[in-house]
Amino acid sequence: METSTQSVSMPRSNAQVLFEKEFMPHLDAMYNFALRLTNDEDDAQDLVQDTCMKAFRFIDSFEPGTYAKAWLFRILKNNFINDYRKKSRGPAKVEFEWVEQSFSGDEDQEPASHADLHAETVNEMLGDEITAAIQALPVDFRMIIILCDLEEFSYEEMARILDIPIGTVRSRLHRARAILKDSLAAYAKSKGYH
Amino acid sequence: MKKTCTHQPDCLKLIQRIIDREATPEEEAAFLANKEQCLPCQEGYELEQSLRKAIKSNCSSKCPETLFARIKAKLFVVLILISILIPLFC
Repeated sequence: METSTQSVSMPRSNAQVLFEKEFMPHLDAMYNFALRLTNDEDDAQDLVQDTCMKAFRFIDSFEPGTYAKAWLFRILKNNFINDYRKKSRGPAKVEFEWVEQSFSGDEDQEPASHADLHAETVNEMLGDEITAAIQALPVDFRMIIILCDLEEFSYEEMARILDIPIGTVRSRLHRARAILKDSLAAYAKSKGYH
Repeated sequence: MKKTCTHQPDCLKLIQRIIDREATPEEEAAFLANKEQCLPCQEGYELEQSLRKAIKSNCSSKCPETLFARIKAKLFVVLILISILIPLFC
């Protein structure tokens, strides 16, 4: 673990107050994001801890009054890509594995989903089934769905967090949802949901 | 009530932008007025809302208390280190 002392130049008490006031309230959201990315509780905890230490180390580059949560999520995402992505665990349930296998190609292409899926079917599904379908998505798609649907970041904020153009945010999100619907429709059919 | 929608791909994109709060008020008003006359748009809107709701209620986890305590303890150590090291170099 690297030391976090080099880059903090603001007074100690200010840095601590800023950290506790602006960053700590987002710990639940950060942990949840890390857990969705890594698929492993221990890795998620390490990822959040590393992210917090990095955030503290570079606290001088944070502008108070700007959106701390987006800043933290960007650090967490970079941390995940650099250090954790290779060892992240696969989906827990085999039923959705075909999603990974069947996905390939340009994300800017129009999504091909014409899934026969209805709101009632989604409402009937168990929580674990929804979670498994999300976890089976390729990580870039899983990431954008969590950022948008769970954390409610705007397209502009997601573009900054993910370092991609806003047009790519739109197309990736659209495609992620299409794959998720296809996956849920196939699963619902196999399990005899209406 | 229309049983088919000739603009379904565009309508689906608009539905998602509305649910994501990225559509303009004019776009949203126009869609909501049209939705009452178009079954696929109505069903598409309900499906997207259900998906959003299902994700929100099933994909949340709370940070373990032990992690919270570990981060605070680590931060405390870092701050102590800073308070010891900085005077040595100033």
